Amino acid sequence: MDEVFKALADASRRALLDRLHARNGQTLTELCDGLAMTRQAVTKHLAILETANLVTTLRHGREKLHFLNPVPIHQIGERWIRKFERAKLTALSELKKRLEDGDD
Amino acid sequence: MTDKSKSRDLDISRFSPETVYTIYIAAQPDEVWRALTSAKFSRQYFFGFAVEADLRAGGAFIVRAPDGSEHISGEVIVCQPPQRLTITWDVNWPGLVEALGRTLVTYEIEPAGDAVRLTMTEAHDRPLSDDILSGGRQGWPAILSGLKSVLETGKPLAVKMPPPARMLAALKTLGVKLPG
Repeated sequence: MDEVFKALADASRRALLDRLHARNGQTLTELCDGLAMTRQAVTKHLAILETANLVTTLRHGREKLHFLNPVPIHQIGERWIRKFERAKLTALSELKKRLEDGDD
Repeated sequence: MTDKSKSRDLDISRFSPETVYTIYIAAQPDEVWRALTSAKFSRQYFFGFAVEADLRAGGAFIVRAPDGSEHISGEVIVCQPPQRLTITWDVNWPGLVEALGRTLVTYEIEPAGDAVRLTMTEAHDRPLSDDILSGGRQGWPAILSGLKSVLETGKPLAVKMPPPARMLAALKTLGVKLPG
């Protein structure tokens, strides 16, 4: 779990996760496209995210695709969110999202 | 089932992975395999649903709802115990397969030190909206965490989770009849 928090404690790595959240299953080249980061830096960040199991890679044909793996984040949620709180929290997140026009 | 469920019509190479989830479990590969393919285990981590699998290529793969109905009537495509299982994962809601095409689920089990790395891949043969995919994206992390919990602690994880409203709305738009 330490690795998950360390991996998330970096804005560049969160930006990479955001990109995969917007479109899952991207190649390294696609992920680098339009980012103000060198290819080496992206590779390094992806390795940290993969070690933390927040990103999973899969070979599809000749391409290596990167997928967002939210399972560790789900486990963090299970640890601190109680069963009966889930529905209320979902409602609150929805409300926040609507009020902020999806900009969270 | 009708002929459309037969794997001879299925070209796996046409399917692209849309959702890929990985979890590490402190267990042996054959224990994870058994947990994925037996009703006794699946009821504990899969919202009470029973997995009934005829473990050979072409065998039936059924997920039975707690009320006894067949929620998923699928078929085993690849069966390599205890490493790889590919099945068709077609939810039995009227019109769903016609609207979304077939769904292919692959479990891959790899040893990782003293643990096992389990990867679940959901693949489709056509692009689907995020609204449609939200069902699996919400459900799978809970199912996989539950599986891990059952295997590591013997205790099931009681996650109660209705299908996401955005998925149900998108299915309705596509003409899929929703149960209940």
